[in-house]
Amino acid sequence: MAQPRVPSNAEQFKHSFREEAREILTELESALLELNENPSDTELVSRIFRGLHTIKGSGAMFGFERLAAFTHDLETAFDEVRNGRLQISSELIDLTLSALDQIRAMLEEGTDGAAPVDPAACAAILSSVRKLAAIDERAVAAKKSAPAPDRPAAAAGAIENWHIRFAPGPDLMRYGANPSLLLRELRQLGELSARAMLDSVPSLGEMDPERCYVWWEMDLATGAGREAIRDVFIFVEDTCELSIEAAGDPASPAAETVPPSDAERTARALEEGRSASPGRRSYDKPDHASSLRVPAVKLDQFVDLVGELVTVQARLSELASLQNDAEVTAVSEEVERLTSALRESSMNIRMMPIRSTFEKFRRLVHDLARDLEKNVELTIEGADTELDKTVIEQLGDPLMHLIRNSMDHGIEPAEVRADSGKSPTATIHLAARHSGASVLVTVTDDGRGIDSDAVRRRAVERGLISTEAQLTESQIYALLFEPGFSTAKQVTDVSGRGVGMDVVRQRVESLRGAVEVSSQPGQGTSVTLRLPLTMAIIDGLLVGVGDACFVLPLASTLECIELTREDIARANGKHIVIVRGELVPYIRLREHFHMRSRAPRIEQIMLVETAEGRFGFVVDRVLGNCQTVIKSLGRFYRQVQVVSGATILGNGTVALILDPERLIQDAVRDEAHGRGGRTLTAHGGPPENSVEFTALAGRGSAGPSASAHV
Amino acid sequence: MPVTLEKKDALTIIQLEGTIDVGGAAELKELLVQQLKSSAAVYVSLDAATGLDVTAVQLLWAAAREAQRVGVEFGFKGQTPEAVRSALVDAGIGEFPVPASTG
Repeated sequence: MAQPRVPSNAEQFKHSFREEAREILTELESALLELNENPSDTELVSRIFRGLHTIKGSGAMFGFERLAAFTHDLETAFDEVRNGRLQISSELIDLTLSALDQIRAMLEEGTDGAAPVDPAACAAILSSVRKLAAIDERAVAAKKSAPAPDRPAAAAGAIENWHIRFAPGPDLMRYGANPSLLLRELRQLGELSARAMLDSVPSLGEMDPERCYVWWEMDLATGAGREAIRDVFIFVEDTCELSIEAAGDPASPAAETVPPSDAERTARALEEGRSASPGRRSYDKPDHASSLRVPAVKLDQFVDLVGELVTVQARLSELASLQNDAEVTAVSEEVERLTSALRESSMNIRMMPIRSTFEKFRRLVHDLARDLEKNVELTIEGADTELDKTVIEQLGDPLMHLIRNSMDHGIEPAEVRADSGKSPTATIHLAARHSGASVLVTVTDDGRGIDSDAVRRRAVERGLISTEAQLTESQIYALLFEPGFSTAKQVTDVSGRGVGMDVVRQRVESLRGAVEVSSQPGQGTSVTLRLPLTMAIIDGLLVGVGDACFVLPLASTLECIELTREDIARANGKHIVIVRGELVPYIRLREHFHMRSRAPRIEQIMLVETAEGRFGFVVDRVLGNCQTVIKSLGRFYRQVQVVSGATILGNGTVALILDPERLIQDAVRDEAHGRGGRTLTAHGGPPENSVEFTALAGRGSAGPSASAHV
Repeated sequence: MPVTLEKKDALTIIQLEGTIDVGGAAELKELLVQQLKSSAAVYVSLDAATGLDVTAVQLLWAAAREAQRVGVEFGFKGQTPEAVRSALVDAGIGEFPVPASTG
């Protein structure tokens, strides 16, 4: 038998189903973990039942038969819970969580990098669920051998007769869906008499062969309520016409969800729609979707194009300023205004709430707490805080490492906590909030805190610091993020190999973010990830040193002041300036990058606010604001951490985007290691790639080396 | 959707094999339109079919009506396999196809 041609969009709709199902699985996981905390919450039970039902029903519709069959018994179990015949237990929650893992595997089967489905695990899960929910194994086996309609528990109430009219959307078949499966599912609820209505099928010549013209009249005798019947259509409800009426008595209590008048109107509309124009239904009207699902790759292309536009607009502005033509200038300014608005909009499109990333850690905490035999509660705050899609995508691993580390090393066993007067149930708090152009994501635990003496001893043992080194608390905590650093007495499956924390710092810094740690012995530890709101385009401040241009992120800049020869003389060789009575250290970019050009008589200090405090960067001139499209410098410059990227200016030259935090950390680190000649002077010797810096950032350097890496 | 056409004078027998569904719907429509134009009698054999979805049912239904309209003999040959019959019953179509009207 030859395989039928698969419609080109069937895979596309399977893909859409996968995306929908992934979201439902995440929600199910959260709901299950919440239910574990509040077993009497009937609303949660209903949510779980509906989620499982949707996955089962829509899975079958889109050809995921194995997934649908596997989900069926879970759904039945939660139906038993819903009807008060089965108690929620940790065993049921754990079994369902394990089942979700297998459903996820079935969902991804055949896609790249998918984890394989474990048939033995699936069988064991189903067997345990059936045993727990008292689902008769023999009945299951009998059902498999003879697909006669059975009656699940949902149909066990008083039998009522329902009249159902179902007209699928015209594209149902194109989705690869099969309405017969819906009818089969209805048969599971009770005695069904169904009649397919073919009167809307147009003439052979006129008909669209892939469109569904058939609609159904059905009579169903069932003990299941209206909601259970509606649930059968849950996945197609938005695109179909559906009326469910209690037969005989339109004012019967069973018709309460949809008032009889509504049902009549719906039925009438069905009839009118057909008689007016056979085959044309109300859903032929244009859709007014409130949201759209767009492939991420299209979004990335869009943002890339906006980035290119911003670059071209900068060039236009530059040319317009040279033309000195009022009309050209007006057009250029209008283009600039529109480009700025477009950039803002495109960046907003990429913003996503961090909720889904946070929620998935409920499962991690639940599983780890069980494995480590600790009582841990995860609390979440600020889940609606939005971040750039790219940032969110890369945040999962660092947060996972931090949580695992807290669970394993930070949080004490229940008896130790009790001995020290703490609640036996520990808390891990995940929070997100805006702070200027950054988002702060914090992982806080109420565990034992960091033993800074132990960290220090370990750092000396590993030769990271000298025994005499004077370090602040934050400098000591920073050592935790050094490669291979761990104070754990034993390596566990969870952590202790000193790998995770290094990865945390690397990943966060690759996002142009920073990690801050604070800890109170016996009280707990808080790790804050400071992340940029966006990764693609930032508002920058363009500064010049000699022929070179640099960009400082505008969000971190405070003000600009002059640095005169007299100021320098007053500081006795220290790189410090007094700003309104406050001593502010500064870094001379010319010295830091070993640029050979001559400094002007009056230089400018750009003051910036960082986690380390206020600092200044000395430049020759401040050129103004610019929209900065961030371009990667490529692998060759990956080790150059004081530069977070490059951008192309309006005149076609390249400007390096500086990372103020890293520049200052570099200088502070040199100072701590005694390499700094003066307060916050940059490296004693030429910094790595200093020549390339100068060349890359210079006017005459937008040549091969620059363009090759930008 | 493998199809075998058997032609004898003005009689055409269309043998459909495997699953007849939306994937081959456009092809089936084209075939039915052509044969109804060029034959005096068209018969469809579902002997080797393993499944039939709603789009196939619609097409065969519309073809039967079209045949009546243009005066071409149209019908089914052979036995409908059990799998096809039960799929039709599942879909609430029952005995198939018996056009209710000639359109």
